[in-house]
Amino acid sequence: MEEQPKLTGKDQGIILRRLISYLKPHKKVITFALFLLGLTVIGDVVGPILIKTFIDDYLTVQNFPTGPLVGLAGAYLFIQISNVFISYFQLLKFQEIALKIIQQMRIDVFTKVQNLGMRYFDKTPAGSIVSRVTNDTEAIKDMFVSVLVGFLQSGFLVVGVYIAMFILNVKLALVTLLLLPILFMIIKTYRRYSSVFYQDLRERLSQLNAKLAESLQGMSMIQAFRQEPRLKDEFNDINEQHWKAGKRNIKMDSLLLRPAIDLVYALALIMLLSYFGVTSFSNTIEVGVIYAFVTYIDRFFEPINQVMQRLSIFQQAIVAASRVFKLLDEEELVPNQTNTDARIDAGKIEFQNVTFSYDGQTDVLKNISFTANPGETVALVGHTGSGKSSIINLLMRFYEFEQGDILIDGQSVKAFKAQELRDKMGLVLQDPFLFFGDIESNIRLHNQNMTDEEVRAAAEFVQADGFINQLPEGYKQKVTERGSTFSSGQRQLVAFARTMATDPKILVLDEATANIDTETEVAIQSSLEKMRQGRTTIAIAHRLSTIQDAELILVLHQGEVVERGNHQQLLASKGLYHKMYLLQNGIVEETVKN
Amino acid sequence: MKVFLDLGWFFKERKKQYIVGILMLMVVAFLQLLPPKIIGYVVDEIRLGTLTGEALVKWLLLLAGAALAMYIIRYYWRMMIFGSAILLARQLRERLFQHFTRMSPRFYQKRRVGDLMAHATNDLSAVQQTAGAGVLTLVDSLTTGGFVIAAMAITINWKLTLIALIPMPIMAYLTNYYGKMLHNRFHFAQEAFSNLNDKAQESISGIKVIKTFGQEKEDIQDFVQLSDDVVEKNIHVAKVDSLFDPTISAIVGASFFLSIVFGARFIVAGEMSIGDLIAFTAYLGLLVWPMLAFGWLFNIVERGRASYDRIRALLAEPIDIDDTEQALDVKAQGDLEVHIDEFKFPEDERAALKNVHFTLKRGETLGIVGKTGSGKTAILKLLLREFEGYDGWITYGGHSINAYKKERLRSAIGYVPQDHFLFSTTVAGNIAFANTSAPIEEVYEAAQLAHIHEDILKFTNGYETIVGERGVSLSGGQKQRISIARALMMKPELLILDDSLSAVDARTEEAILESLKATRIDETTIITAHRLSAIQHAHQIIVLHEGTIVEKGSHEELMERKGRYYEMYQLQQLEALVEMGGEV
Repeated sequence: MEEQPKLTGKDQGIILRRLISYLKPHKKVITFALFLLGLTVIGDVVGPILIKTFIDDYLTVQNFPTGPLVGLAGAYLFIQISNVFISYFQLLKFQEIALKIIQQMRIDVFTKVQNLGMRYFDKTPAGSIVSRVTNDTEAIKDMFVSVLVGFLQSGFLVVGVYIAMFILNVKLALVTLLLLPILFMIIKTYRRYSSVFYQDLRERLSQLNAKLAESLQGMSMIQAFRQEPRLKDEFNDINEQHWKAGKRNIKMDSLLLRPAIDLVYALALIMLLSYFGVTSFSNTIEVGVIYAFVTYIDRFFEPINQVMQRLSIFQQAIVAASRVFKLLDEEELVPNQTNTDARIDAGKIEFQNVTFSYDGQTDVLKNISFTANPGETVALVGHTGSGKSSIINLLMRFYEFEQGDILIDGQSVKAFKAQELRDKMGLVLQDPFLFFGDIESNIRLHNQNMTDEEVRAAAEFVQADGFINQLPEGYKQKVTERGSTFSSGQRQLVAFARTMATDPKILVLDEATANIDTETEVAIQSSLEKMRQGRTTIAIAHRLSTIQDAELILVLHQGEVVERGNHQQLLASKGLYHKMYLLQNGIVEETVKN
Repeated sequence: MKVFLDLGWFFKERKKQYIVGILMLMVVAFLQLLPPKIIGYVVDEIRLGTLTGEALVKWLLLLAGAALAMYIIRYYWRMMIFGSAILLARQLRERLFQHFTRMSPRFYQKRRVGDLMAHATNDLSAVQQTAGAGVLTLVDSLTTGGFVIAAMAITINWKLTLIALIPMPIMAYLTNYYGKMLHNRFHFAQEAFSNLNDKAQESISGIKVIKTFGQEKEDIQDFVQLSDDVVEKNIHVAKVDSLFDPTISAIVGASFFLSIVFGARFIVAGEMSIGDLIAFTAYLGLLVWPMLAFGWLFNIVERGRASYDRIRALLAEPIDIDDTEQALDVKAQGDLEVHIDEFKFPEDERAALKNVHFTLKRGETLGIVGKTGSGKTAILKLLLREFEGYDGWITYGGHSINAYKKERLRSAIGYVPQDHFLFSTTVAGNIAFANTSAPIEEVYEAAQLAHIHEDILKFTNGYETIVGERGVSLSGGQKQRISIARALMMKPELLILDDSLSAVDARTEEAILESLKATRIDETTIITAHRLSAIQHAHQIIVLHEGTIVEKGSHEELMERKGRYYEMYQLQQLEALVEMGGEV
């Protein structure tokens, strides 16, 4: 369950203003929609006046001249019919605007997410980011569609109705103005209570769901410790609280929503009738005016009822918007590049005294220095948490670092344009991530300039064509659910092809063979060898056998390089590397216990 | 409408509320007829100049009285009917929870927590809707609709009523038709939305790949396209959705127009008065709601039926491991004998255990080692009676474990699972999980035995610190030790540690094992582990491989044999060395 941020009235005002600022680009369409809305209100208001004219000028006096009556009826029908069409387009326009606004908001959020640094993804669960992009914006859409438009409609109607009433009878219109403060009071009271009671109900519900989810997850523990009765009691307790909160809400809604508004409606009728009744003692009254006023009062209350029912949507939208804006204001961005024209040609990599920490407290890399000459392979080995992946994270510019520098062809990695780095460096991840689509689109990714031949060439190069050609649909074979229908080896081969298709100068392998089943390992190995040829390669190796031919092997321990050299040298020195080698090969004859 | 029958038991239970509530609804439907009538009378009297002050006051008082009565009655029927509906939700939720607590792990293997949650939330709220809004729309559309039509026909003019009602069925038909169209389009809109959701999900999970290939812009472009689709599909929905209001007002307008035109003719003919006509048009306004409500009713009932069926199916899931009538109600203690010929997990072809036989004397410690999937946890699950249906038998203190009352067996066993699950309550509450009223000293004692006491004292709120999603984040080792303390609180006859020392460092592990040895003299302990140091001291060690025992004996005996255990031991020594950076 998502936490509900507590928002003060002031916060809500700021959020609402920011939401409304999204309307700006649509000024023209909104003006048009408002114009249509104005027309429908005029139609709504003029109709009763026509009927009033009919009643007073013709029906009461029982005079029915054909010409004027046909004119009257024609006008009435014309207004009614055009109103139907105008109000349809008006409603549609407002919905369109709301949809466009939400689309913009979604694109903004998604773009923002793409520009966030890896640190943000480390600390935020993926599910909650997705919620910001889709569900929260959906809640805001509901507000735009039903609340904001509802507010506008009732606002316009109230104004229109009052204008008509003032035209018909100033005194009575003034009297009915008394209704406004009463309605205002009811709305205000409702808002005051609902912000407490409704919020309370939502919190109880989220407690209830949290308790249920936790109990379901921990059911085996609850049963093992025989705590079923206690947990049942606890759950029932929360359930009861939730029920009580629900009852309070029903009570509040019953006292302040429709029944209350209907009561005010009756009050309005009483005002009308007493005014007309009392006036009728001294003056003649046009019956049509009574009809018109009664109709206006009727019209006036319906939208108010609707808006009141929807106030809770408004409340939820504000909460959702606060979360969306918080993400939009997030400052954990991707590292900055100084964007010089530096280019990567040879592919020489130098780490110079790099020290790095994720949290600013414990250093995960301490003073790392090494050089990978063009075309050479540098392998990183070490236990989990030794800092291997951090080296790659820095080289790939996933994280910003402050101490030391990383040079590529003599230039700081911070100096290159992001695109240059992405074009020239290819990273293969431990977990080959396949996207929804087909094999071809997974190799090409979004690079539309790549020809089909290039895609196939890349696949052939890494020897992925063998299995791809055996698929029923070949390169067009669908990839669903992250590629779970393929073996991890096959997925890795596709990822290889994807990397090779961009023909990088520098190859970065993050435990590319860690999750591979043994059958495919042989294929993968020979592909890897081919890929590495003529490219500077930084490889994290899970299996030491895969990096025996590396020019340089760095053995890391707790963020430091503790041993360096090639395979033979390291084995000969009988240090940590040697022990790892024994361990991997399951050699136990040699008793290491001193 | 069958769902109303299915929910009959509840309506019977809340007979009084529903009967009174429905009667009240009828009274309101009747009282609603008054204001238009009063307006009509007053208008006529004003027009004829016969209105007296007294009559006016009388009418107004009647109007005020009716309005007040309606306000009060509306409040009460809502409390009765909607109040009952939320009570139904509460009762069903309680039953579901109760049922969940009785379900065995087999059930939880089959069903995902997310699905169960959906039943307990969405389905419940649909049923609640049926018992509340469903009943309301059914009763209200029938009574209000009926009364209003009756009032129009009887008290004003039946001919005009017929004429004015001509367009109304068209409205019912059209809104129903739109509803169906909307349903389809809404489905597409939902699909587009879910594609967008999947896209966002995928991009966020694959963010590293996207960054690696510098494809942020292209990915955003992709997202924009999908969001265009969402807009398009939603505009399709809006195109139908926006039809409702104009259609309703067109139909009502048509009725209106007919009423005025024909009403005028009836007035001229002297069949009715102008006041009648005004009252008549007001009645027309009252008819709109019942017409619409009827359409909603089908929706609500449809959803309610499907949801209630799902909930009933869930509640009908049989409890597969239950006590027999003659279950032993005695303390479970003594020697443990395990003789399993074969055991398969439900819906699994492969045997998880095969020919596992051993005896564990009371007070002894058993160590079980083996790779992941070798069957260590399977043995424990059978001991805990989480699963039944194996060839062979297990006795504890001379009785089959199936003969004990579940409650008795479980109270003898302190279980520390592999995936240490802590509840979002205080640290103390987690440790005292099995006995919340235990004195705090006992909690301290258990925490000290599990060597977590010092750590807890360092938390900001000590033992009162809240654990879990919204509380402090604990390290894996801390969680494990709290789980151990939780099991030790029970002072269990049989303590089971299922690989629960894996995340604590070697020194702490040794200390915990020492304190177990010192305090658990007459009690039995079973420890499974990857790391041999955790079971080295055990009286008896069994080595599992692919579900069967391949070696058995004490540490010294097994080392002598130079078999699998010996090999594992050597490799682990080397591994420990590597982990420590090669230095001892």
